[in-house]
Amino acid sequence: MNPSWLLPTAALLGIYVLCAGCYGMVYALGRLRESRRLMHAAHAFYAVQGLTTLLLVALTPLAWGWKAFLLASFLVYAVIPPLTWRQLERTHALEHES
Amino acid sequence: MNQSKKLGVQYLTASIVMMGALLLFGLLASIFYLKYGFLLGKLDFNIVKQVHINALIIACLWGFMGAIYWFLPDELGIETVGIGLARLLFWVFVAAVAVVVLVFIFVQYGSSDESGMWLVNQGRKYVEAPRWAAIGIVAVFFTLAYNIFASVAKARKVTGIMGVLMTTMVPLIAVYLIAFPAPTNMSVDLYWWWWLVHMWVEATWELIIGCILALALMKLLGTSRKVVEIWLYLEVALVLGTGILGLGHHYFWIGTPQYWLSIGGIFSALEPLPLLGMVVHAIYDAGKHQMKTHNKPAFLWLIAEAFGNFIGAGIWGFMMTLPQINLYSHGTQWTVSHGHFAFYGAYITGIIAVAYMVAQESRGIREVRGNAWKWAFAGLNIGMVGMVGALLVSGMSEAFIGRALGGSTLDGFMASQSNSWFMQGMIARTGFGVIIVASYFILAWDLATLGRRREKPSPALATS
Repeated sequence: MNPSWLLPTAALLGIYVLCAGCYGMVYALGRLRESRRLMHAAHAFYAVQGLTTLLLVALTPLAWGWKAFLLASFLVYAVIPPLTWRQLERTHALEHES
Repeated sequence: MNQSKKLGVQYLTASIVMMGALLLFGLLASIFYLKYGFLLGKLDFNIVKQVHINALIIACLWGFMGAIYWFLPDELGIETVGIGLARLLFWVFVAAVAVVVLVFIFVQYGSSDESGMWLVNQGRKYVEAPRWAAIGIVAVFFTLAYNIFASVAKARKVTGIMGVLMTTMVPLIAVYLIAFPAPTNMSVDLYWWWWLVHMWVEATWELIIGCILALALMKLLGTSRKVVEIWLYLEVALVLGTGILGLGHHYFWIGTPQYWLSIGGIFSALEPLPLLGMVVHAIYDAGKHQMKTHNKPAFLWLIAEAFGNFIGAGIWGFMMTLPQINLYSHGTQWTVSHGHFAFYGAYITGIIAVAYMVAQESRGIREVRGNAWKWAFAGLNIGMVGMVGALLVSGMSEAFIGRALGGSTLDGFMASQSNSWFMQGMIARTGFGVIIVASYFILAWDLATLGRRREKPSPALATS
């Protein structure tokens, strides 16, 4: 690791997960309020996470294995909020049926 | 109120009191960074820090035990088996902790033979309690496990939550036994010591708090058992899947094989994934219940748990968990920042939520009202975010100047400690620490007087 890249890389990694958190949070709020605007905002956060991934891959001195890992994780993050939401609705529907 | 619930109240009260010791010693420890020679030779930094971090462990354990003894009779429909022994051991436990703290403060150091280990300090961070006290802790854990297993057997009822809780008792006790042997090889010693610390904090305790929160959600929001159990199983799978091998992210500078760093990096980098699911879940619950509950502080502290866990363990952890970063950040104030946020988010918030539920039910309060809890909630959360932010600034400066530029030399270390970024972070940390301590006193006062002080009637009740 080049010393001058230590803090920018760490900051980008923090932003990477922060964006994932904002994406999940705003996505959930959007589904809850059935707001298209919030859903667009959620996808905007996901896009910023994508941009962060791109910067991490293109600029930082992380090893290639880690860059591939970050890229794969970025793709997995996309499906977590919708999957969790669908599962929540399914389990709570079961609750009402029983 | 039955005996088990009374014991639950006692353990939770002790936990909240212990949080006070934890915070006061934390604040005291922060002053050492600001005032050169502070209490030198009387109460050195290492002793203050030792009391601070051991108080954290005990506050969490007492909080978990309080919640378990409180919820157990409701879950199984019977009085907890062996509760007399458990009540006796509570007082033994409290007395033993008081003696250990007094020994830490006034005796401080033992001789370099076996007697020092038996009577003063076992020497490993987080589990410094002398051997006689450590044996007592094992006895308390065995009693807790007996209470749970025997009650389940008597009730002939193994719910999903109880199944997970019973399973968790095994690693809770087993990994603590690592506190006893004293290998003379430091690498071997630290290798196993991390098993104890990591497997407790990032695996076993996660499952215990998961069980406690499942029981709390059923009571607080009336969520069905089927729903909470499905999510608990999912959490077990994800936490254990990512948590166990995340162990390797601690294995820096202790002589373990290098492959551990990659294993630890990969699995700990996966840890934010289940935490993101928890954030979505928290918003779903808050939205579907439209924040309507008779115990708003408990509800908000549960929401704070989901967010605190994600930010403290997820974001703060991810910033520094990849080996190329961890190599520099390990053991700096950066780690301290992550540790504070993660412990607070994952455990302290959950224990406070349960404490509010217990205060409400044990005193027959229909609806928790007042403003004190709001001040405590805001003060503790703002104070914590400010403190970990300040520690992050200091830690990044330490990693950059002392490690990356200074090459981890003594000169580099000294340069990082006197750097203005580091010092300003330390001053801000103490400032936010004062806010946390003040807010803690409001919290403790609110919990102690809830239902016992005169409140203005709410508008809805006044007009009805």
